[in-house]
Amino acid sequence: MKMKATSIFGRGVLAALMICAVFAGSAAAAPAWKFEGKTLEGSETIVGGAEDSFLTVPGLTTDCENFLYKVSISNSAGTGVGSVNELPLYDCGTNSEFCTVEAIEAEKLPWSTKLTTVSSSNYIVIEGVKVGVLYGGEECVLNEVLAKITGSAGGLVNNTTESATFNATTFKATATKLSALGSSVEWQGFFPTEAFEWNREKALTVG
Amino acid sequence: MRKRRTAGVVCTAMLAAALATLALAGSASAKLTGEFKKFEQCPFSNLEVNRCINSLSSGGEVVLGSKKTPIVNAATLQGGYSKPVSGFSKFFAATNGITLSKAPQSVPGGLLGIVPPEKSPTLVKLLSKFFFENSLTGVNSTLELAKPASEIKISESNMGEAEGVALKLPVKVRLENPFLGKNCYVGSSTSPMWWELTSGVTSPPGPNTPIEGAPGEVEFIEGGRILKLNNNKLVDNAWAAPSAAGCGGILSFLVNPIINSQVGLPSAAGKNAAILKNTVYIATAAAVRKNNEENP
Repeated sequence: MKMKATSIFGRGVLAALMICAVFAGSAAAAPAWKFEGKTLEGSETIVGGAEDSFLTVPGLTTDCENFLYKVSISNSAGTGVGSVNELPLYDCGTNSEFCTVEAIEAEKLPWSTKLTTVSSSNYIVIEGVKVGVLYGGEECVLNEVLAKITGSAGGLVNNTTESATFNATTFKATATKLSALGSSVEWQGFFPTEAFEWNREKALTVG
Repeated sequence: MRKRRTAGVVCTAMLAAALATLALAGSASAKLTGEFKKFEQCPFSNLEVNRCINSLSSGGEVVLGSKKTPIVNAATLQGGYSKPVSGFSKFFAATNGITLSKAPQSVPGGLLGIVPPEKSPTLVKLLSKFFFENSLTGVNSTLELAKPASEIKISESNMGEAEGVALKLPVKVRLENPFLGKNCYVGSSTSPMWWELTSGVTSPPGPNTPIEGAPGEVEFIEGGRILKLNNNKLVDNAWAAPSAAGCGGILSFLVNPIINSQVGLPSAAGKNAAILKNTVYIATAAAVRKNNEENP
């Protein structure tokens, strides 16, 4: 009887330890924003301009020469979070001689962001993405069509270049997806960032 | 002198007529190229037409009462449509008058409605097909437009966003069989079956349960001038079907009740379904016009 009680106790402890281990593992997997290796306290604003960023639906690519972004970041319970507050997009067009971009606007800002770790790599995930693109061009099949790009996007964080890269591989790793016109679309780009307020010129890392 | 002048006038008139004929011939022989050929029946010269469409339904099924008919023979919906007003565009008929092509589909079990169980030996299935789906007792059902093409409504935005009605289609089904005559129809121009097809999720009355359509995968071709939707799926399982009429010619008073009993007509909303699996091509009428002009 005593033996049975001991066994039950033993199993309980084991279960508790396993649960703790799971939570510890989970906590360890949540990366934080850091400047010069120190965990960010309070909040900071980071800004940047996208390089080689374009959105592709099979057969049609849309890109913007000026793709700026302003993101406020902080750490919450040890995990990096944030929100995309501004995303002005200018000088946009397509790879089709028939299709133009008449207007483009990020909608329903701010979009929430969070840092996450997948297979020992750190990613930034943006949720609630919504961009409206009004296409033009008399012969373009999307002429006067307002396409809504919606969904979530996950990009791989690179501490060396202080940037995030978004592509099909990073979307797959983070189980994120963007859709437009009822179909999934591919977003690709390189997004360097730098601190804009209290931590200017300090190295931004995630870990 | 007068004779010579008359001859000159006649020659000039003939020359003018010949030139006019050539010009007309040129216009008639203007040809669309590449993927634009799919829009040959689009009334693109009508300036009210904003876009041209060609939608090929090559799969799916129609459940009419107790009869489920798979779509085996492809049917085409073609024509043009206007800019949207309150979300929906007005449809314009195909220039050859065939807005919805007639594609007879064999009704499994034919006239007698005998369908051998799936696990039946192949020989039994073949014999059943021979006896009950032959030219005498087999039944084809053909979907036809029940009203003018202008009654069709289309919503590009609902199609893309998988919400609401993407295509509103007034249809009737012709049941074809030597016994049934040439005018055996379920639905008519005065009492059509209204299919309100969606690429989203339906919310039918029971006993049907919600089914899901799909906008399909977007692909741009011809340099962004044509949009192709692969694996587009439009569904509606909330429509009602009236009784059959005109079946059996002068014996219709006898045959109609048999057909109604066999098919389960009239069939209330929630007991029928239309599932259309399509490949859709869309272009602006301006692009089709330009392609036509460039290739006289």
